[in-house]
Order: sequence, then C-alpha cells, then structure tokens
Amino acid sequence: MTAPPIETTVVPKSDDLGTQRSTPNGLVPLRDEVVRFRWTRERYEQIVEHGILGEDDHVELLAGEIFSVSPQNSPHAAAMLILVRLLQALIGPGFHVRPQLPLSLDEDSMPEPDIAIVSGAAEDYWYTHPTTAVLIIEIAESSLASDRRRKGSIYARAGIEDYWIFNLVNFRLEVYRQPAEDADSPTGYAYEQRTVYGAGDTVAPLAFPDGVVAVRDLQPKTPPQRRKRGKRA
Amino acid sequence: MTAPPAILPTASPVDEMPDTFRWSLEAYERLVELGVLTTCDPVELVGGEIVTMSPQYSPHAAGVVIGTQVLGKAIDDSHHVRAQVPLALVPDSEPEPDLVVVTGTPRDFVAAHPRSAVLIIEVAESSLRYDRRIKGSLYARAGIPDYWIENLGAGVLEVYRNPVPDPTARFGFSYSEMRTLGKEERIMPLAFPSVSIRVGDLLP
Repeated sequence: MTAPPIETTVVPKSDDLGTQRSTPNGLVPLRDEVVRFRWTRERYEQIVEHGILGEDDHVELLAGEIFSVSPQNSPHAAAMLILVRLLQALIGPGFHVRPQLPLSLDEDSMPEPDIAIVSGAAEDYWYTHPTTAVLIIEIAESSLASDRRRKGSIYARAGIEDYWIFNLVNFRLEVYRQPAEDADSPTGYAYEQRTVYGAGDTVAPLAFPDGVVAVRDLQPKTPPQRRKRGKRA
Repeated sequence: MTAPPAILPTASPVDEMPDTFRWSLEAYERLVELGVLTTCDPVELVGGEIVTMSPQYSPHAAGVVIGTQVLGKAIDDSHHVRAQVPLALVPDSEPEPDLVVVTGTPRDFVAAHPRSAVLIIEVAESSLRYDRRIKGSLYARAGIPDYWIENLGAGVLEVYRNPVPDPTARFGFSYSEMRTLGKEERIMPLAFPSVSIRVGDLLP
C-alpha cells in the first residue's frame, strides 16, 4: 500500500481530523477515542467499601460518573429539615423519609437525594440500599441546572414518578412528573410534565394525595439580617 | 528544519471542563493497588479524570514498537525508553504515554513510577485533538521539555517545546514553540543534541 502524497510542512490550523480513516476494509468514520471511564454501580461500591476516599470527599454516582456533593450551607440544611418534618407528618405508616442517603438506581447510579420517601421501614434496608422511591426532592441553589437536567434524567430513567426541586434562589417548588423517553436528555429519559409552585400554593405528593405541602412553609420566617456598613455590629 | 516555529493554538477550557469528581494521584493509585481498577481496564488518569483508551489499530501499535527501537538506538546508557506504562505526574495525573525517555535504568522504578521524563512522544490517530490540547497542557505543566506528537493522519511529526504558563490552556500551561516536520526532515531531541533522527524513520 503506497502512502498518498502529503505536504511536508503542515502547520495545524485546526484540530480537524478529517472524517474518515483508511483501513483494509475501506474508509471508516473517525471518532474521538478518548472518553471518560464509566463506573458501574458495583465497581463504585468497591470504592466505598475499601474506604478509598477520605471524609472530605462526599460523592455520588450519576449515570456512570462520579460527582462531588457540596457541603451544605444553612439555608440548604434548614430547608431539608423542614421538609423532613413536614413529610414525616403526612406519610403513612408503610413509608419512611430518608435524608441524603444512597439509592441504588439502575446499573450505573447511586445518587444521594436530599430527601427520598421510600416504602417500608429503615429496618428493611440493612443489607441493600433502596432501589426506588415514591418521591425524591432535591434542594438546589448552585446545583440547579444539573439537578434539573442530569438528575432529572436519571430519576426519570429509573421511573421515579414524583421528582421535586426546591429552588433556594427564588423559593419556588418545581414538580416533575410523567417520566418518558426523551432523546435529547443525557440518559434518554426526562419528565414530560413540569409545574412550578410559589408561596401561595400547596402541593400533594402523588403517593399521598391527601397530604399537603405549603410552599410558604419552606421559607425563613424573618428576612436575613443585614450588617450595618461602617459601624461595629 | 525548514518550517518556521508556530504558536500552538489553545482552546478555552470552559466548555471542555466537566464538573465530575477529581481524583488525586494517591487515591487513583489506591484504586489500582486495591484491584478496583485492573490491567483489564485500559485507563489513564489525566487532570484528575479517569479516561479510557481505545484498543489500538495496527499503525498505532507499529508506531510504538518502531519508536521504541529508534529511540533505544539514539539514547545513551544513562537513559532508557518506556512504552505505554504509567508516568506519575503530581498532583492528579498518571498518563501512560506511548513513548517516554527517562533518566536512569528500569530498576530505578521498581518501587514507584517515574515522575518526570526528558522526552514524551504520543502516537496520534483520532486522539490528535486530545493529545495536543489536553496532554500537551498536562505535559507542559509537568515541565516536560520535549513533547512530540506523531500525527499519523497527516504523516508528520509535531514538536512542542518551551513550556510556559498559559491561563487559556486546560492545566494552565502550554508549549510556546511548535514545529511540524515532514518525513525527510530530521529532529534532534533536546536531551541528546548530537543525535539526529529522520522523521520518516520514526513514523510507522
């Protein structure tokens, strides 16, 4: 096979690889061959079991990739505790509320949602984490975009019927329902229905239609204190 | 060499930077040590991310074998050639460059991988973009003085030298000098200036 004639002093102006490679079987399309390593949930659990990551590395596994879970600020912590309190009051005896604990979802995800309502009791999950939930809630400030797109896609693929995001930026509750196939989303699934609720609204979880969560209750009662400028506090 | 030096184009890191968890070199080596990652996993650690390498087409493999022979003849006894084995680059990388020339003998690295090199060569087919922008920045950050890419698609050798800080590069460093050489041209490795290698003898 003779090589085609080429220019001898080519300065790369772009990373254009051309679109094809010549092989004994003819021309085949080129593709970028360097991709991030994908973790299965099974392999990821070995990391946890071996204790490879330190206490400062709080992570979760989302669709085969590992992400850091950020430390919580006080609004996030308060909102979470308020939601835990509200939800414990309205769920029935056959369910319990799990705050920031792992869920084994599909083959390649182990998220730690801020809140998951799961059937059964804590005792039922000594040996394995739950594999589904009737309601998942994420409390989001800086993570809003990824909670909507990446986590939304993972929860939809897992068939989680009721996914809420409490938006700490504007104190609105975003409710996502009707998981369905969606070619544009990272996992191929997304929620078809999205409704946003504000301070005057109430929402009932799909699994507890008589329960009431008032969005107004998910806010601080007093506005933040402002420091006086130029004076000692 | 007849080609004038060209300034390497650098990419904005923002759109390429993912927000995944970043591994330190130590944690990655523990994964390997504990058998969570094994020799069945063709992976490298680059800038805290674990990346997968594809199985090699024959031109790539031939390039590695040819390069091992050619470099082996060119260097002296105080150095040796290593092919596709780990290079530990603190704080967050452990690539497996196709060809590396290292000071010392193989026995010097029984207890730990080498942490530097006098020359790195990557044989590039479809990994060209990655080898230029990502690995280029990584090796520049590590202060590797001489970095070559065998651009198999174009049949040329790209020579990168003089690593400098560069805020637009992925790891904050890049090579400020770059030359492209054709098959009839010759290259002298910085560490072995009396050695002259014909590019066509190096490329597969």
